[in-house]
Amino acid sequence: MAAVKRLKRVAALQPGFISFKWSAESDDLNSGRRKRVNKNKKKNWNKHSDIQDVEEFLDDVRLQERTTGLCFLCLLEVQERKKGKKSKSRPLRIDLILQHDSLVPPPKDVLAYQQPNAKKLRRIAENAEKLAAMGVLPRRQKLLLNRRPATKTSKAKTAANNFPDRPYYDLWGGEGKFETADPYYLEQTGKSCVKRPEKLNVKPSILPAVEVIAPGGSYNPDFFSHQALLLEAHEVEVMRERAELRIERQLAVKQEDTATEETVFEELVEGLVEEEEEEEEEEEDVSIRGGLQQEKKTEKERKRERADKIKSQQKQAARVFTDKKQQLFQLRSIQATLKRREQRTRERVAQRKANQEAEKSMPRRLGRLKFQAQDLEIQLSDEIPGSLRTLKPEGSVLKDRFKSMQKRNMIEPRERAKFKRRHKVKYVEKRAFREIT
Amino acid sequence: MGGLQKKKYERGSATNYITRNKARKKLQLSLADFRRLCILKGIYPHEPKHKKKVNKGSTAPRTFYLFKDIRFLLHEPIVRKFREYKVFVRKLRKAYGKAEWTGVERLRDNKPGYKLDHIIKERYPTFIDALRDIDDALSMCFLFSTFARTGKCHVQTITLCRRLTVEWMNYVVTSRSLRKVFLSIKGIYYQAEVLGQLITWLVPYQFAHDHPTDVDYRVMATFTEMYTTLFGFINFRLYQTLNLVYPPKPVLDGTLSVEMFSCAQQKLSALSASLARVVATAEEEENQLDLFPTEGEDQENMQAREKEQKEQEAQKRLFEGLKFFLNREVPRESLAFILRCFGAEVSWDKSLCIGGTYEVTDETITHQIVDRPDMDKQYINRYYIQPQWVFDSVNAQMRLPVEDYFLGTTLPPHLSPFVEEKDGDYVPPEKLKLMALQRGEKPVQEDDEEEEEEDDEEEEEEDEEEDDVDDEELTEEKNLKKMEGTRAQGKTLAVKVTPGKVKPWETGSVGNKVRLEQEEKAEEKRLAIMMMKKKEKYLYDKIMFGKKRTTREVSLTIGVKNGESPKGDKYS
Repeated sequence: MAAVKRLKRVAALQPGFISFKWSAESDDLNSGRRKRVNKNKKKNWNKHSDIQDVEEFLDDVRLQERTTGLCFLCLLEVQERKKGKKSKSRPLRIDLILQHDSLVPPPKDVLAYQQPNAKKLRRIAENAEKLAAMGVLPRRQKLLLNRRPATKTSKAKTAANNFPDRPYYDLWGGEGKFETADPYYLEQTGKSCVKRPEKLNVKPSILPAVEVIAPGGSYNPDFFSHQALLLEAHEVEVMRERAELRIERQLAVKQEDTATEETVFEELVEGLVEEEEEEEEEEEDVSIRGGLQQEKKTEKERKRERADKIKSQQKQAARVFTDKKQQLFQLRSIQATLKRREQRTRERVAQRKANQEAEKSMPRRLGRLKFQAQDLEIQLSDEIPGSLRTLKPEGSVLKDRFKSMQKRNMIEPRERAKFKRRHKVKYVEKRAFREIT
Repeated sequence: MGGLQKKKYERGSATNYITRNKARKKLQLSLADFRRLCILKGIYPHEPKHKKKVNKGSTAPRTFYLFKDIRFLLHEPIVRKFREYKVFVRKLRKAYGKAEWTGVERLRDNKPGYKLDHIIKERYPTFIDALRDIDDALSMCFLFSTFARTGKCHVQTITLCRRLTVEWMNYVVTSRSLRKVFLSIKGIYYQAEVLGQLITWLVPYQFAHDHPTDVDYRVMATFTEMYTTLFGFINFRLYQTLNLVYPPKPVLDGTLSVEMFSCAQQKLSALSASLARVVATAEEEENQLDLFPTEGEDQENMQAREKEQKEQEAQKRLFEGLKFFLNREVPRESLAFILRCFGAEVSWDKSLCIGGTYEVTDETITHQIVDRPDMDKQYINRYYIQPQWVFDSVNAQMRLPVEDYFLGTTLPPHLSPFVEEKDGDYVPPEKLKLMALQRGEKPVQEDDEEEEEEDDEEEEEEDEEEDDVDDEELTEEKNLKKMEGTRAQGKTLAVKVTPGKVKPWETGSVGNKVRLEQEEKAEEKRLAIMMMKKKEKYLYDKIMFGKKRTTREVSLTIGVKNGESPKGDKYS
């Protein structure tokens, strides 16, 4: 119990301790004592320090400087300088007290200068110097010097692929290092490379890499070939126009369908006239009566139906039989129809093959976008230059190469990525505008 | 019972394909990295035959890859490098954010990089495979080397592309492999024959162009990365076949022995210096190939081959011995390349570029290429011609008469050498003239006079037309029609004149032989036609009918004169 209880160190915290300070002061309103502030913090320097007198003094000095061009402090300094040595600041008294004023020098501490084996060490050092001067080195140093210089095993800095002076070597000439080794050994040690699948060596398209432009695209073309090229471009434009017109035609509204006053009136009036209602009622009765009549079938009718069915079946069988007999005599025409059919199938097969061949030279659909062929590069008759100097090149080779690669199925058709915003931009009025409205 | 049922979309084509996003997740790469990887490894998306099956019933347009291809990608070592790079970027950003500059430097020093050599070796196991695919690489490298060196794409890539293209052009010059050139409005098309492969590439004009916005630069840059690696290795191998030093060095004269690398590089790009060889050989000697007839070949074929080879050799020396000077306004690089490919000496003004060996004032210059309407100071013993002469001569494989290309004359049209006309197709009259020239006929003098008269007429008409400004379009069309009419007239006039002209195959033993040969061939053809079966003959008749119809149409359009039937209006 006594261990649990701890002595309260602070007297003020003992029970029954009456603090006198605060209660006394709190009663008195005009204590006159300032609140204790911690002036160690920078924040409180500005708040709780009174520098009014200093400010006044400085203002005074500035005023004097402004008016007279000199301040009295400067004048004081000047006076002191003129006085000379006497104005030199005297040493402080405390410094004077702390100086040594006895004439007895302090004793030297011999122990501080003593070194065990000093002589021996001195002798060794001198010998070593003499030997070094002659060229004989101690064993340690010899070993150090004989050591090979530490080859900086810096990772071979693989230079970037495209630095301009990169060296080339004979890639196909030298013997492969692994041609003579055992394949099992190579495989197990991970030195052999995986074989490239055969399908990858096939080119993705039969088109040539560089397609030369038609002869009408020469910078000084022959008349007819230029006209032929213009015709081609013209046809492309005609197709485009036709496509646009087709869409317009599909969206077009017939003139007759537009609402006129008459039709509007008719619509409004529909259902309001009484005669029409009666007609509707009659029609309903008729349909109901018709439905009621057909409900019950009599026995007679059923028998008749059965007989009719049998008869028609018999008739059909007879007809089939005679048909089969007659087919003997129709052999020639049957053959003719068969021949026609076969010819049709043959034609279709040929057409399908031709289509397949044509498809090989067409670009394949490889992605989301369809391949858009680029516009033919042509120059109109009045743009054709007379000489090489006045030629303005048409089209961009960069775009041409890009499209050619798409055409040859090497990359999928790409378009420029659009900038999509994830979140809508919130419209916030400027403060100035908010005040106006 | 329930466990053994066959479920849909569990086998067959549905499991052979995988969508792009699934593949990306399987490889644990971002979309940009996945795209880059596919481009580098040469893995392309496929369109399955039955989309609904593969897409598990839906018809949404998706990108599909073969599953085996993606599984193959998993073994690729650069996938690891991509992930390391991602981590590197993250660390760098953190270091920047914390303003730890030593850390930033250290990270930058240890930036992860990757090499593409093994990929190239895997994609193109032999050199010839790589050579077949070089068209694309060439066009891309030439394109990138014309880009402006702003920071938009790595300047290093542009420099590397420029270096590779210069090396290639020097190789073509040294091996004299250029065959065809075509100037189009897009750019210049070249075709060269290297080690038996026909290689076509497109070079854009050097003028500044705006870059289109809908081209993905990252994709193009990745392609270029792969192609520059491939191209460099091919260049090395090609230089090896010619015993040239790689990286190439221009043959330095004594005066220029103390040159820095950049100067040497510029000199190479000027295309006027010849390359240094590994084994210093004398001038190339003519290789007389031993004539061994191969099994089954007759003497005739061998002779034909010999003739071809001789023609090729002659073509390679098309401009040999001529000295050219390029004026300032002509495209210097293209012309220098072509002229040097055929053995000429070229020079230009010193202010244009380094490497000009002689000046304008040199007396031994034989041709000067000018593109202005007229030159004030003219030397007597040289021809002043427009640049089209060079291109047309290369395509015609002979030196065309210079008169058509003088300054101020309207040039003949520049025909495309890549067009092969079959029998009965329309052949432009200029091409007919060219073929005649090649055969050895000389153009009739009267033709030139007629053309001059026509030129005068045209000038008069032009003066008249300048007066009325309202009907400009109509007059232009009329002018065009008239020009074509006169051109057509010119041709028909030529036909009218030729009866009086001496035909080469009617006189002389050479002419007789040619005629006899032709007669023999015609006889053989007739015999073969008689011997055909009925069915085959029927087909043959159909084909000939179709051909004759096209020729008839073609001759009709040529024979259009002013004010004739509207059939000709199809083309105007």
